[in-house]
Formats: sequence, structure tokens, C-alpha cells
Amino acid sequence: MSQENKTAKFQGATKYVLDDELAKIINVTMAIEMPLLLKGEPGTGKTMLAHAIAEALKMPLIILNVKSSMKLLDALYQYDTLTRLNDSRFGDSKREVSNIEEYIRMGKIGQAFVSDVRTVLLIDEIDKADTDFQDDMLDVLDQMQFDIMEIDKTVTAKHRPVIVITSNAKKDLSDPFLGRCNFHHIAFPDQDMMRSILDVHFPNLSADLVEACITTFYALRELRGIEKKPATRELINWIRALKADPDFKVKTLRQGSVPYLGILFKKSADLNAACQQASRLRT
Amino acid sequence: MFVEFFYLLRQKGIPVSPTSFLRLQRALCTGIIRSVDDFYTAARAILVKSERYFDTYDQVFAYTFKGVALTEPNDLELTEIARALLDEWLKNPADIARALGLDEEDLQKFTPEELLKYFMDRLKEQTGEHHGGHKWIGTGGTSPVGHSGFHPGGMRIGGVSRNKSAIKVAMERRYKDYSQEGPLTEFQMGEALKRLRRMIPSGPKDLVNVDKTIYETMRNAGEIEIVFDHRLTDRLKVILMIDNGGWSMDPYIDVVQTLFNYARSQFKDLKFYFFHNTIYDNVWLDYQRYFKPETIDDIARRDPETRLILVGDASMAPYELMHPSGAIYTDQKQNGASIDRLKFLAKTFRHAVWLNPQLETNWGYTWTIGAIRQVFPMFELTLDGLEKAVQHLVSRH
Repeated sequence: MSQENKTAKFQGATKYVLDDELAKIINVTMAIEMPLLLKGEPGTGKTMLAHAIAEALKMPLIILNVKSSMKLLDALYQYDTLTRLNDSRFGDSKREVSNIEEYIRMGKIGQAFVSDVRTVLLIDEIDKADTDFQDDMLDVLDQMQFDIMEIDKTVTAKHRPVIVITSNAKKDLSDPFLGRCNFHHIAFPDQDMMRSILDVHFPNLSADLVEACITTFYALRELRGIEKKPATRELINWIRALKADPDFKVKTLRQGSVPYLGILFKKSADLNAACQQASRLRT
Repeated sequence: MFVEFFYLLRQKGIPVSPTSFLRLQRALCTGIIRSVDDFYTAARAILVKSERYFDTYDQVFAYTFKGVALTEPNDLELTEIARALLDEWLKNPADIARALGLDEEDLQKFTPEELLKYFMDRLKEQTGEHHGGHKWIGTGGTSPVGHSGFHPGGMRIGGVSRNKSAIKVAMERRYKDYSQEGPLTEFQMGEALKRLRRMIPSGPKDLVNVDKTIYETMRNAGEIEIVFDHRLTDRLKVILMIDNGGWSMDPYIDVVQTLFNYARSQFKDLKFYFFHNTIYDNVWLDYQRYFKPETIDDIARRDPETRLILVGDASMAPYELMHPSGAIYTDQKQNGASIDRLKFLAKTFRHAVWLNPQLETNWGYTWTIGAIRQVFPMFELTLDGLEKAVQHLVSRH
């Protein structure tokens, strides 16, 4: 049941436009069973890709959101001592207190290993964790097994999961880490690609509006002094906002006024710079 | 297979490991790679681990599989000639627009690079001298290359249209723009600085101490006694001293500002001071370096575990640093040379670094940089430098 739920959640992934190059890389990566490291500007669909793979291959997706304070153990398993203590005191649960294994909870990597079917394991924003975490984790993924110290048991992956790792950092990750994965950099989509992406997201959008939006959007990306350029995600949200506004006319975009700049520019300094320069845009 | 290709990649500075090369062989064995196109993408994903090397990879690939020379000298010469010609022509843009058979509007869409490329293509197509023709380049000719005008620049990556052969794609050199280092952003700085935090328990007790809980429960004859601890939070003390005076720091104000903004939100106990060029008896709490001076002796009385970070280009006249009365402001009273004050600071705070926004390769040209480097460990104000500096600040020594 839970399996079904998991797969059902990712129907949105039909909205992913996969280009040939990336598809080839994924196939090769899966064939030689390596983790795939994806880099690219935020908002170019790194995370979405894992969803798309899971959906296309009909595999459940397990997401590990990396946090800076995370320890590797958290991702593998957790020994729930408090529940055990509680059970041993009150004895009102069905669990066997002397059996520690009942109090071991699998973390995300652990779940992927013990799953009965092959899964897609997405390790999101690996760059947030420190290098020790990164290297240790790759050891585990390399050997496809880890030990649970408390019960002296080794967990071995039943099926090697398809592993997708994303990173936002411009900085390179450590060498041993890179050595163990395949790498791809998702470039920012060009205008044609963007058209097909929009087409998938908004099948009923008029060609007129698409053109105007895309022209304005790429012009906005070229503005000077912007730290975080708007990406695909921002464009989609922006168009959603434009569609929701009953007063919006395509004409206004052409005239050079850009409504809802706040959706495209998330940093206040960027927004100010954009507001000043946007009025000069004419298409 | 492709051993030469492998060595050429290494030779051109892409760190390709033998393991990954073997992995590529394994991929080839699976039969999933059926064409040169497949090979191009697969080999790149397996061998090349950073987008900074994509451009080099493209060149090597194109060279190996088609024999396009790696920047042939001939090409270089051509570029020189082209540039010279272009400069000449740019003095008379109207003529060029006409000469190249393009509207002036079309011309404006060209970046100088594209313009040059267009121009070069024309040059290559042309055989022999030519005067007064329509398509070829020569004196008095007509063919499109022209004034650069406004060019948006920015990232230009060819898209995903895959009707071309891999070699053509490789030759396009789509990743050219990635081969340079990006500018520092607040976010990246933050990532580097984060490692500086030192965790110390404080705040509300809301973390269960399992070991103690079990112990206390046993002592309590099995009656559960849960013990809570303080959460770990950062208590690191940081003093940041910034050189904000004079024109010599002007080009770096942006990058220092970034560090400044970030540092403010990152650390609980952070003090800013300002100075000009180097430190004498006082540093200032205010940006104008006038209203709120604080003496170095006062600062030295702080916790010696405080991390001291100085930011400045360390470039000045040698006497400003070495002479007992070298201060360029006459109202500054002075006990001894500035270099001695710096030594005093370095001795007081064991964890101190000097961040220099100038690139390390230029340090040798300024005498005072060398002198200050002997007092404080100096690092570039770049991502790499910052990381090294942080490493130095957290290490015990």
C-alpha cells in the first residue's frame, strides 16, 4: 500500500522534458551501476530528474535531503532507545524488548537497501554536508552494505538502487567523491528547449504569450548585477501568476512593463536592480 | 581502446583517473554505447567530473575523432589579423554594416566573439586576395561583420537540439563559459565560513541525553528518569578588521562587502573594526574611522581564543609599515612601528589570518605584502583561499 502511495505521488514527473544527452548518460550510469552526480544552476531541474527517472522506470523514489548537521548514521539507521526504554518500563507494546532489532529504524539509505524492489535513491544537495559525510557515504554506496553496530548485523542491499546525487555548489566536491560517480552538468535550457518545457507545463498557453514571456524572461536573465538569476522554476511560477491575473495582457509585456518581478527575483538587492533596469526592456 | 584519447585528456589537464577509464571500458562492454554520439556523452559523464573541464574535453574529443587541430598556430595568427582588421573597420561602422550585407540591427545581436567568428569564417572561405566583392573580405568588400554595439554577454550554451553529430557538438564548444571560475557569492562564502562555527552547549535543555537517562533510570530502580541537555549552538568569537580606506581597496569593496554581510548573520559574537592600510594604535568601530576608536591594547584584553580575521590588500608604502611614525594621518599618535603592532596582535590571538583580495600571483610585486605575510598567515579572498583560512583558524596550534 505504502508502495503505491509513493509511486502515485510522482505523477507530476510527466512534466519533465528529458533531453537526449541526459537520457544517454542515465542509461550508461545505470548500466555500469554508478551514482550519478548532477550539478547545475538552481532551478534547472536536478531534483525533478530523479522524480522523472522514478516515474519512467516505475520504481519507488526515496529522497534523502541532506542537512549540514547530518551524520552518516542518520541516513543509514537509527536505534530508538527511548521507545525501548519506555517499552521495558511499561511493557504495553507488542514489541519484544530483548530484541534490539525491533527498535532499529532504517534511514533513507537503509530503506533503499532493504526495499524489496529496486528503488531510485535521490540524495539532494550533497554540498550542504561536510566532506567527511560525503566520503563516508560513498563508501557505503560503493560497497552496498553497512553494519548496524547495536545488533552486529550487516545490511546488504537487495537491489542496487539507482542513485542520483545533486549539488548546487560551484565548488568541486572532493576528489575521492568525484572518482566514484558519474558527472553531468545541466546547462540552462536555451529558448527552444524552454518552449518545449513550457509546452509540457502549460499545454493551452497561446503562442503569443509564450513568445512574449520567453523573450522577456531571457532578457531579464541578462540584466547586470544580478546574483541569483531566475531559472526555469521561477519562469513557470511567474507564468502561473500571469495566468491567474485577469487584468494581464500580453501587450503589457511587449511595452516593457514586467509585472510580478518578485516571483522571478528572490533577493531584495536583485529585485531592486531588476526593477530599475526592467523599464528599459522593450521587445 | 581509446588509450590515446585518455592520455591526451590527461595531458590537457583534465584529471582523469585510470579507474574511471576502466569504468568507461566496462560501459563499452555493456553494449549500450552504439555510436560516436553515445560515446561522446558517456565518456564525458564517466571521465570528466567538473563542468570546468567540459570545454577542454570538447576540444580533445573533436581533435581525436576528427583531427581538428587543438588551436592550430595558423588559427591564432588569423585571429590576430582578424582583430586588427576589425579594429580598423570599427572606426567606420556604417560601412561595415553595408559591407557585410546585414542590417545594423542584426549586427547588434552579435557578441564581439561571434562577430569575430563570422569574420574568421569568411576569411577562411576566402582564397586569394579579393577587392570589392560581395561575400568575401578584402578592402572595399561587402560581407557581414561589424560594430559590436551593445552585447548582452552572459552564458551562452547551445541547447539540446541533437540533430548534429557529436563531433560537431564538440566543436561548438558549448561549455566555453564554464571554464572560468565564477564570482564569489554570499552563499558560497557562507558555505566556507560555516566550518568555522564551534559548537558549545547553551540555550534551553531540550536534547535527550540517552546515556545519562539510562543511568538515572537504573538508579531510580527502573522508574524512567529522562535527562535533558542543552542544545549545541555556536559560541565562537570573531573579530573582523577591514581595511576600508583609500582607493587601493576600492576594487575589492564588493567582495569584502559580501563577506561582511554574511559574517554578520553567521556568528553570534562578532565585532567589526575598520582601519586604513595597516594598524597603528587604534582601530575604529565606525566606517568613517573617526568617532569610535578603540585601542589595540583594549582589544588584546579579549578572550585569546577569539578568531581574528584581517581583510586588506596589505599594499602601502614601506615606511607606513616599518617607520615608528609612519602613520599617514598626522592626528594618530603612535607607539612604535605598525609592524610591531601587528606582531603584537598576532601574538595575542593565536588564531589569526589575513585575507587579501589580491590574487596570490600578484603578491610578490608588493613589498609590504611580503612583510605582513611573515606576521600573519595570508590567504587569497577567494573560495579556495577562504577555505584554507578557515582550516587554519579551526586547527589547534
